[in-house]
Amino acid sequence: MLKINDLTKNYGSFTAVNHLSLHIPEGELFGFVGPNGAGKTTTIRIVCGLLKASGGTVEIGGSKAALGTKEMKRMIGYVPDFFGVYDNLKVKEYMDLYGSMYSMNSKEIAKLSDDLLELVNLTDKKEFYVDTLSRGMKQRLCVARALLHNPRLLILDEPNSGLDPRARVEMKELLKNLHSMGKTIIISSHILSELSEMCSSIGIMDHGKLVTAGNMDTIMQGIMGDVSGGKKIHIRISAGMEAAVRMMKEYPNVVVESVRENELIIGYQATDEEISALIGRLIQSQVVLTGFYQEEGNLESLFMQLTGGEEA
Amino acid sequence: MRINPIVKKDLQVSARSMRLAWGLFGYEAILAIAFLLAMMVIREESRSLYGSGNIYNSMVYLFPVIGISQLCIIALITPIITASSISGEKERQTFDVMLTTAMSPFSIVFGKVTSAVVRIMFYVLGSLPIMALSFIVGGLGWSTLFLYLLTVLLLAVFSGSIGIFCSSICRKSITAVILSFVFYFVVYGMTFLPLLLRFILGYNDAGESLLALLWNPGAFFEEYFMITMTGESLISTEMLRKDDVGAITYWFMERNIWVYVSAGCILVLTILFMLMAAWKVNPMHSSGGRKPGKKKKEN
Ligand SMILES: Nc1ncnc2c1ncn2[C@@H]1O[C@H](COP(=O)(O)OP(=O)(O)OP(=O)(O)O)[C@@H](O)[C@H]1O
Ligand SMILES: [Mg+2]
Repeated sequence: MLKINDLTKNYGSFTAVNHLSLHIPEGELFGFVGPNGAGKTTTIRIVCGLLKASGGTVEIGGSKAALGTKEMKRMIGYVPDFFGVYDNLKVKEYMDLYGSMYSMNSKEIAKLSDDLLELVNLTDKKEFYVDTLSRGMKQRLCVARALLHNPRLLILDEPNSGLDPRARVEMKELLKNLHSMGKTIIISSHILSELSEMCSSIGIMDHGKLVTAGNMDTIMQGIMGDVSGGKKIHIRISAGMEAAVRMMKEYPNVVVESVRENELIIGYQATDEEISALIGRLIQSQVVLTGFYQEEGNLESLFMQLTGGEEA
Repeated sequence: MRINPIVKKDLQVSARSMRLAWGLFGYEAILAIAFLLAMMVIREESRSLYGSGNIYNSMVYLFPVIGISQLCIIALITPIITASSISGEKERQTFDVMLTTAMSPFSIVFGKVTSAVVRIMFYVLGSLPIMALSFIVGGLGWSTLFLYLLTVLLLAVFSGSIGIFCSSICRKSITAVILSFVFYFVVYGMTFLPLLLRFILGYNDAGESLLALLWNPGAFFEEYFMITMTGESLISTEMLRKDDVGAITYWFMERNIWVYVSAGCILVLTILFMLMAAWKVNPMHSSGGRKPGKKKKEN
């Protein structure tokens, strides 16, 4: 669907995107991750024809036409990281405006925009002025707008920034929904765990380069085995912390990562049975254990590791 | 033909804001003042010793007075509207999305100019009843009114295209507005340059250097009103003799085709400005892109 080859973007002597090559197959929900300044937005803007690349080629849907031409623009629905809306324009007029920019006729637009507003759950806001909508609603409206011309590729740049947890969940559901309908979607974020729950594949970018890319499951497995210190287990202890720490320090393959007032975090290179045995031994000793959980495949630490430990 | 989506949107949006109402009010108020002043002068004059004594004949002078005041206001307002159009979209962060749609850069620019011109024409149409006085009682033909509307259109498109060009090279609307007035004067001043050079070089005739004035909207309107009101060209009267100007200039004057040629020249300049704006707006023609300094996100 999207083939990026050797893409480079220089700002003067600074290289924002450095020989990036990436292939995203049709029907994928691709997560594009990287710390601030990694070059995600730059890459996306080049693909959308908003920025001229310094080198490299981009192929969308098998077409090798130049970026920024109508043919290419029609294949992309773009939701920017920051965007504004017009004052004094109603939601349905907003949809109408962008529909007519793709030379759709008003009947087509009316029908499609009804469906899309339904999809993004804004049907009851049709008569509202766009600038009175909340941030999350605007974000969803923008998604509906980007889908209006039925693009083959939907690109969202940090759709979750500035949204509250509830709105994030709604956005996630919406994207999952679109994915199940067969749309190819690219979503950028600098929070890996946010993407891990919905994406089918991810690419991690740092300093203008693609650090790793591939199927979500493959990458998750890699993390499970790979991360130094093994699986991270949080243990809540209300009494007998010292004894517990002593015990853990003597245990083979266990690394004590941190000790807080009533929480102990350990890294343990072990199978699930071994972990279960360890917990069992803790409970049998005089430690008062009130809870424990295993950190979900530690994406953040992988992320930190891969991106050179800079703040993500 | 399908109506440009930008025109439709701009009209929709501006009709809902108070700005249109206030603009119309201010515009009509200024014209009304010009009208009253003109009436006063006309009355005094018709009563005076040399006046015709017939106030109706003098009504014809309403036309240049109101016509010119109107042109001045338009020359002032249109570039302000268009200069803040593209930079306004940039400031509002709506421009990127617009560029990713199937709209071509030229149709964006064209739509922006058209929507400004259409709004200006609303104002102008509002002034027609006042203008009509000089036609009904003053004795000017209706074709004059029609031609006048065409010249208004020309001026609106021309000043609008200067504004849109400045808007395409500026990030801030206010800079764009200021820059378009600077551009105005540059265009205006440049048309006098050949004449100035000729005199500096020691010639004592104008030669063909006046031809540069074809691009001067001021000269265009002076000539236009002169011909409408007196039927004679501005220069071919006693001001200049045949040998003072070059053959082509004289020919344009003598045949009274100066205004038409000038209108053509101004139109070419207009299209040029719009094309340059479309070029500047197209992201594929610059390597810069959006400058840093965007908002920090809270997360
Ligand atoms: N117009 C510009 N001129 C110069 N440098 C720029 C410009 N735009 C971006 N950059 C630089 O390019 C780099 C990549 O920026 P980009 O916006 O692509 O990062 P990002 O991955 O989207 O980060 P974020 O998570 O903050 O959105 C940054 O170091 C930035 O400073
Ligand atoms: Mg970004």
